[in-house]
Amino acid sequence: MFTLIPFLINGLTLGLLFALIALGFMLIVGVMEQINLAHGSLFALGAYVAYAMLGPPLPFTGEVGAWWAALPLWLRYAVALIIAPCIVGLLGILIEQGMRRTYGKDPLFGLLLTFGAALVIEDLIRSIWGTRDYILPTPDAISGGFIALNLIWSSYRFFAAAAAAVFILLTWLLIERTRFGAVIKAGAHDSEMVRALGYDLAKLRIAVFAIGTMLAAAAGMIMAPIWGIRPHMGVDAVIPAFLIIVLGGVGSFWGAVIAGLLVGMVIGLTAAYASEWSLLSMYILLIVVVTFRSRGLFGKKSILEA
Amino acid sequence: MQTPANAGRLITPAMVGVGLLLVTVPFWITSAGLYQYIGVEILIWAIYALGFNLLLGTAGLPSFGHGAFFGIGAYAFGLTQFHVAANLWVCLLGGILAASLAGALVAAFVARRRGIYFAFLTIAFGQVFWFIAMKARDLTGGEDGLLPIARLPVDLGFVSFDLSDNVALYFFVLVLFLLTVVALWRLTYSPFGRILSAIRQSELRAAHLGYRVVLFKMLAFIVSAAFAGLAGSLFAMAQGGAFPEVMALHYSGYIVMMVLVGGGLVSFWGPVVGVVVFLLARDLLGAVTLTWMLWFGLLFVAVILFRPEGIAGVFQDLRRRLTRRATPQPAVRSTP
Repeated sequence: MFTLIPFLINGLTLGLLFALIALGFMLIVGVMEQINLAHGSLFALGAYVAYAMLGPPLPFTGEVGAWWAALPLWLRYAVALIIAPCIVGLLGILIEQGMRRTYGKDPLFGLLLTFGAALVIEDLIRSIWGTRDYILPTPDAISGGFIALNLIWSSYRFFAAAAAAVFILLTWLLIERTRFGAVIKAGAHDSEMVRALGYDLAKLRIAVFAIGTMLAAAAGMIMAPIWGIRPHMGVDAVIPAFLIIVLGGVGSFWGAVIAGLLVGMVIGLTAAYASEWSLLSMYILLIVVVTFRSRGLFGKKSILEA
Repeated sequence: MQTPANAGRLITPAMVGVGLLLVTVPFWITSAGLYQYIGVEILIWAIYALGFNLLLGTAGLPSFGHGAFFGIGAYAFGLTQFHVAANLWVCLLGGILAASLAGALVAAFVARRRGIYFAFLTIAFGQVFWFIAMKARDLTGGEDGLLPIARLPVDLGFVSFDLSDNVALYFFVLVLFLLTVVALWRLTYSPFGRILSAIRQSELRAAHLGYRVVLFKMLAFIVSAAFAGLAGSLFAMAQGGAFPEVMALHYSGYIVMMVLVGGGLVSFWGPVVGVVVFLLARDLLGAVTLTWMLWFGLLFVAVILFRPEGIAGVFQDLRRRLTRRATPQPAVRSTP
């Protein structure tokens, strides 16, 4: 039993990160009922943009570049954690502008549009950074490891789990405790009413898409030191994300978080017994749950079913 | 939308022309600056795309995991060759059967779902099969693939053909492609196809009319999986191996892209057009830039945004516009 503790903690950490990856996806699905298959590519782009800001060689030259490079790494890291998602968020707004044309049509078109966007972003990444792997530098305070329970633990994993928890909490506060959150939830429920009350639904949708994209990019940057920055990381992220959403139930915030933790735990625990097959377990989990509960664990009825 | 009403005839002068063009392809394709092999590849993907469109275009079911059945066909073809009999017909049957069985298994889970949930579940199943292909190394060779798969001779009893030459292989695949076209044409414009079309337009209405919607969706899924299996078998034979990447999410997405860019939603031939455009774009753009998917992806996005009915839809519009301008003339001429 004692030997399982590292696997449990790893599972929990992975679960928090998966929940964070899924959260931006969930926001867009839950509020706009649009599947954003580009989520994984935006996640990857977040990691690459962060690398461009932190890693050598510097992306820009001249005085600004020298001034930026002279700053301590922890400060640059903290700034990148805010700026990188904002840069990727702009791309999210662009995608929303295209997606706007598919509103009211078969949701399949939104799905296909974002699949196309994903391919474009992936090839864009490949043409800028090539196919090699990169390592994102991390500040000394969260690098390295420590020994506890006769095991070596990576400090970064704990930082990543904490950062994921903070982002999840911030998203929850935004949705559940602000006027903005109340309006977007109302908009998902009854768009006519929200429009009648004088809110600009188009702007709300842009905001939701931008926030969802920024969460993807932030997750990408946080995940980068664990997975490594590589072209395939987008696909590795989008699949758990959609899996978690379906598992937790489309449109349910806590469903996504709990499903994220569940998937992380299942992967963590199967890793203890059959590491080769640990990723398969999450697909099996999904198929079993959806077979018996088509709306996932906490899902409510959604127009996506029509 | 593609409706059984506008079926028309399969054998028209235009189709005979296209057929003759197909027969001559091996003789001019290399002088057009293309590889001989691309003709084979286009026909194989066309078989896959036509079968897939019975599901997507006719029944309106967006499977995002169909690469699995293509891949299962490929692996089953190779495994039959290694472990059962090195006979082309037995191996093809093995590929088709394995894909149909896998299709039936998946269909049993997904046929009750609609729209995005259907897409979600097919992605999950596609990933499961891809994962198994990657990890069951003893059976599939893992990431390296199942090698080497031989091009078996076509044995007709009284005569046999060697397929090691790409031209011979082209003609063999062409025959299977034409058989596929006839079979799927008949299916699409049969009562079965009409029911699938009714299901696409309104599942509820079809159910209220007394059709067993789930059963028909399952059948459409299995048939499309069987053709994917046939295409996969041929692909494994042509490539000389079965590889896991054809089962990955991207490849499952590519078939959706091909069918939609070509105009599978509005036309029986749309998927074939899409395959030709996709593979030519890959080879021609790929020769110029390594990031050809960037440009094809942009084209795809543009199609989704501005012309969801695809290239075939554009042609249909043109033809409609031309015939509209032409129609008054016979009316005038008919009065002596």
